[in-house]
Amino acid sequence: MDRVLRDKKAICVFILPALILFTVIAVLPIFFSGYYGMLEWDGIGQGTFVGFKNYINLFADNDVFIKAIKNSFILAGLSVFIQLPIALLFALILAYGAKGENFYRTVYFIPVIISTVVIGQLWMKIYNPSYGLLNTFLRSVGFESAARVWLGTAETSLMSAFVPIVWQYVGYHMLLMYAAAKSIPGEIYEAARIDGASHMKTSLSITIPLMQPIIKVCVTFAVIGSLKSFDLIYILTNGGPVHSSEVPGTLMFNTIFHKFMYGNGSAMAVFIIVECLVLTVIIQRLFKVEQITY
Amino acid sequence: MKKAVGRIVSLFVALVIVFSLAACGKGHTGKPSGANDAAHQEAVIKLSLWHLSNSDSDTNKIVKENAIKTFQEQNQNVELEVDTVENESYKTKIKTAIAANEAPDVFFVWGAGFAKPFVDAGKVLPIDEYLKDGTKDKLLPGTLANFTYDGKVYGLPACMWIAVLYCNEELFNGHNVKIPDTFDELLTAVKAFRANGIDPITVGEKDRWPGMFYQNIFAIRTAGVELSNKALNKEASFDDPRFVESAVKLKELVDAEAFEEGILGLSNDEAQANFIQGKIPMFYMGNWAASQMEAESSKVKGKVVVRNFPALAGAQGDAKGALGGAIDGYMVSAETKHKEEAVALQKHMCESIDTGAYQAGNALPAWKAEVDESKLSPLAVEIANVAKDSTGFVLAWDTFLDPAAADVHKNLVQEIFAGVKTPEEFVKEMQALNKE
Repeated sequence: MDRVLRDKKAICVFILPALILFTVIAVLPIFFSGYYGMLEWDGIGQGTFVGFKNYINLFADNDVFIKAIKNSFILAGLSVFIQLPIALLFALILAYGAKGENFYRTVYFIPVIISTVVIGQLWMKIYNPSYGLLNTFLRSVGFESAARVWLGTAETSLMSAFVPIVWQYVGYHMLLMYAAAKSIPGEIYEAARIDGASHMKTSLSITIPLMQPIIKVCVTFAVIGSLKSFDLIYILTNGGPVHSSEVPGTLMFNTIFHKFMYGNGSAMAVFIIVECLVLTVIIQRLFKVEQITY
Repeated sequence: MKKAVGRIVSLFVALVIVFSLAACGKGHTGKPSGANDAAHQEAVIKLSLWHLSNSDSDTNKIVKENAIKTFQEQNQNVELEVDTVENESYKTKIKTAIAANEAPDVFFVWGAGFAKPFVDAGKVLPIDEYLKDGTKDKLLPGTLANFTYDGKVYGLPACMWIAVLYCNEELFNGHNVKIPDTFDELLTAVKAFRANGIDPITVGEKDRWPGMFYQNIFAIRTAGVELSNKALNKEASFDDPRFVESAVKLKELVDAEAFEEGILGLSNDEAQANFIQGKIPMFYMGNWAASQMEAESSKVKGKVVVRNFPALAGAQGDAKGALGGAIDGYMVSAETKHKEEAVALQKHMCESIDTGAYQAGNALPAWKAEVDESKLSPLAVEIANVAKDSTGFVLAWDTFLDPAAADVHKNLVQEIFAGVKTPEEFVKEMQALNKE
């Protein structure tokens, strides 16, 4: 086996198929998008080359795109500071060996398995102004004035659309963190317990520090996922009303497929990719403290 | 090089989308079950046909299936590959397929602005020479207008449509309200229903186009059919007091709380369901909504009457103009290998669907058809009468304008509904589109 791994040719042969596939499916399209972003093109006829005009237009006199980016950062903030702490809490409780560990693990993971379209429909019914669960509840407990047209008002549509997104992936991050917590060797806890450490103390000083690599992964996923979010927003509000819940993904889709502005849309796509790459690097840097091992 | 690379990538994108969409659509070949085997052995010509899918409850589904079946019976040497998807997905699917030179031989399409990029790119077959066999005489006058580009005909209409104001007579009579013929009566009706705790009008403004209907019809009332069409053709300015008035009237209606609460989050299907549930007295929508109102499960069956949109006293436009026209049709791909057969299929589909849909009470005819009107549903006859009384038609603006402008237009109307744009800003930004 060692001999094979030292043989450069063998390495090439084994890597090549995956590399070709990856290049053709993931890398090349990014460069093509970058090129299309420099065209003024309706996606059907011949495009004309306009240089960086589309990229500049994304920010010059385009409040909607800037607003969409802002919205996606709000979502990223919610994911990191609300979704992940909840996931971490659940993971710690479950990993500690709470009663019905398997049952709850499955329950929390269910939203991740359900199709996004189904979740969208579910929450649309919850938010429905006349018969929705939320308004019905508010009315029945006497908060008549708090009942809203959640998805149909510019003030509430953004947050209303973000709640299901944050909710859906709690289970996903919980599972990652739970697996990490479970893989910490039991001896460490034993030693800590002999020294008289409480549950709180072991969680804070042992479990969370040792979970650091996976927390980094979770933060990266949460941020990237938020920046390129599309599906639930598309179903719930389609970016409306009047662009109040627009994210770069929905805007890009509408620009390409409803407005036939392929060049502009591609420029947005490239921006999203670059934005995600830059943030990934930043997150990696932020977590680049020394690895903790015991 | 650029072209080749572009083709490969767009083909790839197209394939991904087409496969994912095809998985949702109900693909089936249109072979008639009763065709004999001998004829099948001769079947050498394969034609692909794409059109919109309909829900099972929609009577248009049967109309289209019949059209395909009769074509198969008359042309046993042709084998049809039929593919259908739902409305919004279809728009994406057909665009992608045409961009990738993978267009089906015959396909459903909307004329005017929607198909313009296809025609401009030379992907659609001009059919003038095929129409000399008397086909032109079978069409009602003016119905080819939206399929004619630079003097050449590229498609045929498969129906006419008109938007009408559906009124739930039971609610009107129950609360002693007069069905409105004028804008003032409309406002009176709105107040009366509001006082009784009933939402007067519903509109699915989440989808944006249903709300656009209101501004468009107001423009017919305030500016008229001729000026509307001229402005859409960039021959007249939108920045005109008469167009400002169209937005002002819409704003008046919004401010009078004429519309149901939460319309900005309501899709057209949900809005229509609310009307069919019998909860809402008024609904301004295309004639296609009629068949569902007359369906067995409908709570408003037999209770709906239709009117043209209320007239506006003192306005300079057309009090009897209507929103509508012949925009749905079929086109033939320029790449098709069997031009004769494809055009024959196109003609057959258009004429057969046109007559069938009229008979079923789903559409108005664009072809001269012999239809026994006594067999039509009363609602369909009423709608046909509104159309007959109309002095002129303007298409829904989003189908007339090119796609980018249409998107801006729908957003602008939504902003009036949301109260964030003034009527003056509305017309200025509409005119800015004309100058681009």
